[in-house]
Amino acid sequence: MADVELTHLTKRFGTTTAVDDLSLAIADGEFIVLLGPTGAGKTTLLRLVAGLERAEAGAIAIGGRDMTREPPVVRDVAFVFQQYSLYPHLSVYDNLAFPLRSPVRGMSEAAIRQRVEETAHLVRIHDKLANRATRLSGGQMQRVAIGRALVRRPAIYLMDEPLSSLDAKLRSDLRLELKRIQAELGATILYVTHDQTEAMTLASRIGVMDHGRLVQIGSPREIYRDPVNSYVATRLGTPSINLLPADLLPADQLAVGTRTVGARSEHILISRVSGGLARGRVVRKEHLGGHVNLHVLIGGAEVVKRVDADTDFLVDDPVDVALHVPLCFDHHGDRLDAGGADANT
Amino acid sequence: MADLGVPNLADRLAAATPETIAKPIRGLSDRALAWLFIAPSIVLLLAINIFPLIWTIYLSFTNYRANRPNAPIKGVGIDNYVSILTDADVWQPMQATAHFVLWTILIETVLGFGLAFLIDRKFRGHGLWTTIILIPMMLSPAVVGNFWKFIYQPQTGLFNYLIGMLTGQSASSFEMIGSVRLAPWSIIIVDVWMWTPYVVLICLAGLRSIPDYIYEAAEVDRASKWRQFWTITLPMALPFIMLAVLFRGIENFKMFDMVNLLTSGGPGSTTEVASITLKREAFESWRTGYSSAFAIILFVTVFGLANIYVKALNQVKSR
Repeated sequence: MADVELTHLTKRFGTTTAVDDLSLAIADGEFIVLLGPTGAGKTTLLRLVAGLERAEAGAIAIGGRDMTREPPVVRDVAFVFQQYSLYPHLSVYDNLAFPLRSPVRGMSEAAIRQRVEETAHLVRIHDKLANRATRLSGGQMQRVAIGRALVRRPAIYLMDEPLSSLDAKLRSDLRLELKRIQAELGATILYVTHDQTEAMTLASRIGVMDHGRLVQIGSPREIYRDPVNSYVATRLGTPSINLLPADLLPADQLAVGTRTVGARSEHILISRVSGGLARGRVVRKEHLGGHVNLHVLIGGAEVVKRVDADTDFLVDDPVDVALHVPLCFDHHGDRLDAGGADANT
Repeated sequence: MADLGVPNLADRLAAATPETIAKPIRGLSDRALAWLFIAPSIVLLLAINIFPLIWTIYLSFTNYRANRPNAPIKGVGIDNYVSILTDADVWQPMQATAHFVLWTILIETVLGFGLAFLIDRKFRGHGLWTTIILIPMMLSPAVVGNFWKFIYQPQTGLFNYLIGMLTGQSASSFEMIGSVRLAPWSIIIVDVWMWTPYVVLICLAGLRSIPDYIYEAAEVDRASKWRQFWTITLPMALPFIMLAVLFRGIENFKMFDMVNLLTSGGPGSTTEVASITLKREAFESWRTGYSSAFAIILFVTVFGLANIYVKALNQVKSR
């Protein structure tokens, strides 16, 4: 394991800039999750670190050594690709053993066998070692792909949406598993996803990306409670944050110059009012098992709040809505009261 | 859910879909329609493949001679087969064929795969090179046979001139077609020239079928280019290479036109491959029954070898 430092990294494909002047320092043993929508440049960044792409500008240092121009072989990184990328003509065992058989390493077959079997147990694929890689289910293939990375002890693990193609149950299982493995090995991981649950649960720090830029980086809690702008605010939280005109609803604390308020579910107070005084109305109830998402139409905007499953609000109920210390954004969408939300709640 | 008695959507859809989707056309069932559609091909196949095969098998047990249509046809049992299989002279064309087939396969495969491996890289004008390399394959064997005869001319031919220039010996000091030692190689060279592109094409398909991300994974797994070639490129392209070998093998086992035009089996019988012998027996000696038996023996040999080979091929593919 080693720390990795990216400085002013830029990568263009023709006229589009996939990674734009990005700097990021990853400490040894850190689990960094890059969060962002498709096309934000997350995968390109991973490929740059792996050496599968060449940066136009900037530098990459792994373990203190400048690796900007070095080929992947030298960098000693492990990569879990989004499409499994298993060696289809090899068995599961040989797939896992492949990185260890590199002559760079010179491991004995016995040592390789031991390491492969350990790893196979770790990703729960030990009963399929003799199978051909292509004769597995999607979840099994992905576990082999993760195993093929974990079998090594590289400077850094790079993971490109490794769980996105799995079903929900397996995804949450593997998510826990990955966190456990990371803690056990003390591994440094750079992990890419567009799934906020993965980001929240796995990361020691989350980096939010947009158009090749790293917009904000911080602990999951920081990113959630103290986003630097409305873009970052919309990345985390279910239901998604409500972005409303500043003058729409009464709020107890608004910074000067606020154009847009960001109201998360917990910032919203819904009260029942009688008769014609109500400004809002419940338009929809989404039952999600443990809780209900209440959609309220007020002043032409729809506000979503998460409430208990046994709520007695009904569709068409007249209600009023107030906000308690919401996030304040200026006309660019940048935060005005940064750091304030933490102090007040 | 299903055991609560509430069928899910998929079950309900399945139940609502009739077994045959198309309406029967004028009382014809799907099965009858299927037969109707494949009937023309089957009739054609029977007429020009299966019937002649059966007829040849029948003739191979007779003394029939095609130049004497009115002579009585007499069954001779397995006499034709016995005389072929006990005839020491039959081994000569068999050996000539084996020599031709093995060397062409070996050279064409190595050369074809090598060229395919080189063209597979993206470089300037690789489309043009691919087209140029594929040209020989598109020519007719009759044309190829005739112009290589000119190329092999000891006094005026390009081949002798070039070899002479490269080795420093006189261009007319050797004859490709006329010499007992070189004649087998003259037909091998022409076949390699003409059919290597075909192997290139199949190998190229094999190489293109290997996705880039496999190489990227290998790169990250710290495999050298050399190791990538032996552990990824070659094993993954192997089924395609084997297929090319199969096609070339079967083709060259039956090779007739090019050899007939170039050497007609000569000098002596040094390049007399099996098909040339067959033609001599059938259309020069007019021993139709005898040559039918010979054809059947050849057929069984090729068929048997090809079958063993296809088994191996399937094993490689399912590995």
